[in-house]
Amino acid sequence: MSTKEETPAADGDKPQTSSWKDSIYNPRTGEFIGRTAKSWALILLFYLVFYGFLAGMFTLTMWVMLQTLDDNIPTYRDRVASPAAFWGLAKKVWNAGLVIRPRSLDIVFNRTDPKQYGQYVQHLENFLQQYNDTVQEKNELCMVGEYYEQDDQEEKKVCQFKRNLLRQCSGLSDTTFGYAEGKPCVLVKMNRIIGLKPRGDPYINCTAKRESPLQMQYFPSEGRFDKMYFPYYGKNLHSTYVQPLVAVKLLLTKEDYNNELTMECKIEGSDLRNSDDRDKFLGRVTFRVKVVE
Amino acid sequence: MFEMNGEVDVKMKKKKKIKKKDRLEGMKKEMDIVSVIHKTRRRESWREYGLTSSKAAEVLERDGPNELLPPKGTPEYVKFARQLAGGLQCLMWVAAVICFIAFGIEFSRGTLGCFDDLYLAITLITVVVVTGCFGYYQEFKSTNIIASFKNLVPQQALVIRDGQKNQINAMDLVVGDLVEIKGGDRVPADIRIIFAQGCKVDNSSLTGESEPQSKTPECTHENPLETKNIAFFSTTCLEGVATGTVINTGDRTIIGRIASLASGVGNEKTPIAIEIEHFVDIIAGLAIFFGFTFFVVAMFIGYAFLEAMIFFMAIVVAYVPEGLLATVTVCLSLTAKRLARKNCVVKNLEAVETLGSTSVICSDKTGTLTQNRMTVAHLWFDNVIHAADTTEDQSGQSFDQSSETWRSLARVAGLCNRAIFKPNQESLPIPRRIVVGDASETALLKFTELAIGNMMEYRERFKKVVEVPFNSTNKNTLMLSVHELEDPMDLRYLLVMKGAPERILERCSTILIKGQEMPLEEQWREAFQTAYMDLGSLGERVLGFCHIYLNENEFPRGYKFDSDEMNFTTSGLCFAGLISMIDPPRATVPDAVMKCRTAGIRVVMVTGDHPITARAIAANVGIITEGSETVEDIATRKRIPVEQVNRRDARACVISGGQLKDMSSEELDEALRSHPEMVFARTSPQPPSSPPLIIVESCQRLGSIVAVTGDGVNDSPALKKADIGIAMGIAGSDAAKNAADMILLDDNFASIVTGVEQGRLIFDNLKKSIAYTLTKNIPELTPYLIYITVSVPLPLGCITILMIELATDIFPSVSLAYEKAESDIMHLKPRNPRKDRLVNESLAAYSYFQIGAIQSFAGFTDYFTAMAQEGWYPLLCVGLRSHWENVHLQDLQDSYGQEWTYAQRLYQQYTCYTVFFISIEICQIADVLIRKTRRLSIFQQGFFRNKVLVSAIVFQLLLGNLLCYCPGMPNIFNFMPIRGQWWFVPIPYGILIFVYDEIRKLGVRRHPGSWWDQELYY
Repeated sequence: MSTKEETPAADGDKPQTSSWKDSIYNPRTGEFIGRTAKSWALILLFYLVFYGFLAGMFTLTMWVMLQTLDDNIPTYRDRVASPAAFWGLAKKVWNAGLVIRPRSLDIVFNRTDPKQYGQYVQHLENFLQQYNDTVQEKNELCMVGEYYEQDDQEEKKVCQFKRNLLRQCSGLSDTTFGYAEGKPCVLVKMNRIIGLKPRGDPYINCTAKRESPLQMQYFPSEGRFDKMYFPYYGKNLHSTYVQPLVAVKLLLTKEDYNNELTMECKIEGSDLRNSDDRDKFLGRVTFRVKVVE
Repeated sequence: MFEMNGEVDVKMKKKKKIKKKDRLEGMKKEMDIVSVIHKTRRRESWREYGLTSSKAAEVLERDGPNELLPPKGTPEYVKFARQLAGGLQCLMWVAAVICFIAFGIEFSRGTLGCFDDLYLAITLITVVVVTGCFGYYQEFKSTNIIASFKNLVPQQALVIRDGQKNQINAMDLVVGDLVEIKGGDRVPADIRIIFAQGCKVDNSSLTGESEPQSKTPECTHENPLETKNIAFFSTTCLEGVATGTVINTGDRTIIGRIASLASGVGNEKTPIAIEIEHFVDIIAGLAIFFGFTFFVVAMFIGYAFLEAMIFFMAIVVAYVPEGLLATVTVCLSLTAKRLARKNCVVKNLEAVETLGSTSVICSDKTGTLTQNRMTVAHLWFDNVIHAADTTEDQSGQSFDQSSETWRSLARVAGLCNRAIFKPNQESLPIPRRIVVGDASETALLKFTELAIGNMMEYRERFKKVVEVPFNSTNKNTLMLSVHELEDPMDLRYLLVMKGAPERILERCSTILIKGQEMPLEEQWREAFQTAYMDLGSLGERVLGFCHIYLNENEFPRGYKFDSDEMNFTTSGLCFAGLISMIDPPRATVPDAVMKCRTAGIRVVMVTGDHPITARAIAANVGIITEGSETVEDIATRKRIPVEQVNRRDARACVISGGQLKDMSSEELDEALRSHPEMVFARTSPQPPSSPPLIIVESCQRLGSIVAVTGDGVNDSPALKKADIGIAMGIAGSDAAKNAADMILLDDNFASIVTGVEQGRLIFDNLKKSIAYTLTKNIPELTPYLIYITVSVPLPLGCITILMIELATDIFPSVSLAYEKAESDIMHLKPRNPRKDRLVNESLAAYSYFQIGAIQSFAGFTDYFTAMAQEGWYPLLCVGLRSHWENVHLQDLQDSYGQEWTYAQRLYQQYTCYTVFFISIEICQIADVLIRKTRRLSIFQQGFFRNKVLVSAIVFQLLLGNLLCYCPGMPNIFNFMPIRGQWWFVPIPYGILIFVYDEIRKLGVRRHPGSWWDQELYY
């Protein structure tokens, strides 16, 4: 029991001379990060083939999917049209957003300083370029108060909406859109939705969130969106389509200056939603106006 | 639960070094005790007076109270904090903090959907805290070892001080105190006996041996544990009275040292904990690497700092497998439950797997390998050795009982026996009845009861007149009794005698052969010798039996037999035969040892028995195989001195406790390495260097994963030191049970083998489970990478990722734990803990870069489909991000010219999340199916055999549906009710996963060792 024999198998663990450098490149085995060049080549080739195949499959499925799409109308319109329809509810509800021009929810300016309101004026002017007579005269004159349906026509025509319909807010007579006189114009526009045909008689109604009512002027009269501008047939077929606009001229008085005024415009008189809890821009828009003297 | 702290590791190593020093010191203290013994012997004058109170107070001041102090451990809150500060946990804390910051900033800006960040932060913190609590609870359960020692400690002591007897609190005892103990008391400290009267103590709480030991003032051995004049703290005095001086108190007592040794021995990290730590480190490292890379990329592309931080957070959330630790824990506890049904109670969950990687089992003999009861094994009469039935349920073959000699032998064995059955046990089978009497008499009683029938009544018929029992004091190795005969007409007395065979033979002049009394000639003596040697070499305890009919005239009825005077014939008797007894192996053990052998596990036997007995049992159960020889065997066979034998030729080796003590650790390592079949015999249960502990350490030095069985308090350090300590449920002491990781309720070795099988299975299944869990991290990560680099609207949100990780995918990944083994796992070698990792390179590569990649493609296909069908063509999506996420842009045009508000776009984004989620779910169903096997085809394994897995898939689908279609989900968890068509888009990819994996497995099966096998088998 006491004699101890030297055995060759006993010293299995030879002192390793390897260092961390070897784990990156091991000159003895020619391994680079644990693999030899050949091994790397093989594994990279494998992954090349593998990902090549996957990419091919992905491309194919995407191509097939794109083939199934209609060019003119989205396959599903669960967000903009009617999520309710998905639940099997018969009534279609349109979810059209409402936005204003100038593109700002805080309209603050000094009416005596053209530099301050210049950006708004410029913005409105640019926006209204597409409503210029030169452009609009090419368009159709449509029947007032009726949908301009042209489902069976190859070429979809556009109904005329001339700038001068907006009168004082057209920027034609008053090139500052009332900003210089402290009675600014705001253009309200409804988001384009393909196939949207508002039932009833939609009009824009704006209210100031304060005790006493604010005087306002609507152009066209009563802030109506005429039915003839609906439905919209999509970018492809209806490339020159222009949305109807409603201009609201806020007839601010001296007392209103220097005070911030919260305005809310809603679309009313139709089946368009205007009171969604989550989406504050569905059929309505809230913005603030402050005119400094 | 899983230690993930590098620092702890370092500390543990330091501790170990200190421990070794301690142990050496412990041995030195051993010497001290002996010298103390000698010193105190001279102070006989104290015997009446004891210490003075002032002296006692002084010593108490110096040594401290006589109680076991718990070792200074880490405070509980530090332990808890450590659970919350692992690698992954830290990452999740960082992610949560980023979420809070993002929430704060977005909330002040009034952004829609900013509460998502808050929810996310809360969810992350909840996940961390819940897993932390779980881990803490696990740790807490397994570390309260000192409590079990506290239970052993006595409360009161009768002490003599200032010449007066006082009942004092045992805590106040000091070295030098005179104490008195009597039957029923706990010994209040380590004491040296100076006066004893019939004092017997039960050392079972210390050594696990329940045989009472008598205590006398003589110093009989220089080893304090074996000498008769020392009684130990916490042992129980069974009978008699004794007075002694206290030689050690508190933590310096033997039990105190065991306790501190046991609580000090670093609990070895379980292999599975090391595995998980290993791979958690990698995951955490990769998560930081990915997160940081894309943080830099994002900053470079021109995102704001806060945005880049949010990307970092999102990547961490996407990449870290949040549900993994829970999955692993649940899988392990499922197996633990399964084991509990098979009588293995697992205390430390990780131990479940440790059993599977065990390569050495150090097993106690008594009670684990054997039945722990003496049983008659062989008989020699009529010059033939007969084998008795030793099976537990008496299902074996019996011998021929027709001989007249047998009847005489049985009569002697039955009558010359003081053991009796406890009453009211008639309904129990004989082997299980409780007997009052010593081990060999019990064996004989049961044996005769089985062979003859009702022994109590039989003894009534042979009325006992007188008996002379075994007596250790007068060295009487014989027992005899005189009986009247059954036949009332026969007035002779029958004297029956049993004892050590050679002593019996001395007193005999005749021998019974085939019922005939023959003169005891030389040939019979030789036959007797051969039989005696044969039985002895089997390791059995042999007893001789003889009888004589006393002369009717010399001893008439009414003769006064005197047991002290021995006024009757005690020589010239008639030899009836030999009966040998052994504690036989359990019936299931040989098979279990065989299974261990095929499973590549060494079984090392450790026992306090004599080497010959140990060897015989080892050979019997297969620990030493047929044909294996020890060095000594070879020496005898070749007739050469032991020194000349080449040690490598000897497969087997029996090392006695004495030899073990003299061996250096190198020699022991060498012995363990060169002899595959090892038996350690006559090991003394001396605690500081208890043999199991030394053997365990040696095996661990050789790189083995060691399982140790034990029952005594003295085993607790070894149980703790072992990779898995297994305590005996029936025979085990509380301390052993507390130190152990697992408890065998039936004390049966075969249960360990079941445990090994389950442990191996769970290792395989955990591998599958982890592979399944890791796969989905890639389809969770890629959306962010594409989102950051290509600026598409975000395809998958963080909350959706958490829903996958913590809700839908948990059940399927757990269900893989129910998978049956693919091959016969008990025919493989134990895994090499350094090579066969739980998570290896090919597993990660296959999960991440192959299956994960396919899943990502599936997700993006579905995402682009959902976007395109709602009006956003893929090419429009690219680069759309800044407009898409602009809250002020309420009229963004899609590919068809429709204008969308921000909220509409947000809900569309949620739709994308949901669609991506569904894609991952569909692919994960394919994934869980392929993970059922690593090598076999699923068709070989059976599709529906794992019912749990099938129900998990159903559950996953139902949960997916609930999340999609339950009203209110869009605003709580960002799930939208998606169109049914989108469920089907990822199905081709699911089929691809399935087919590809079948091809992989086919290649692995057909071409083992090939490039394909090496790269793709995980």
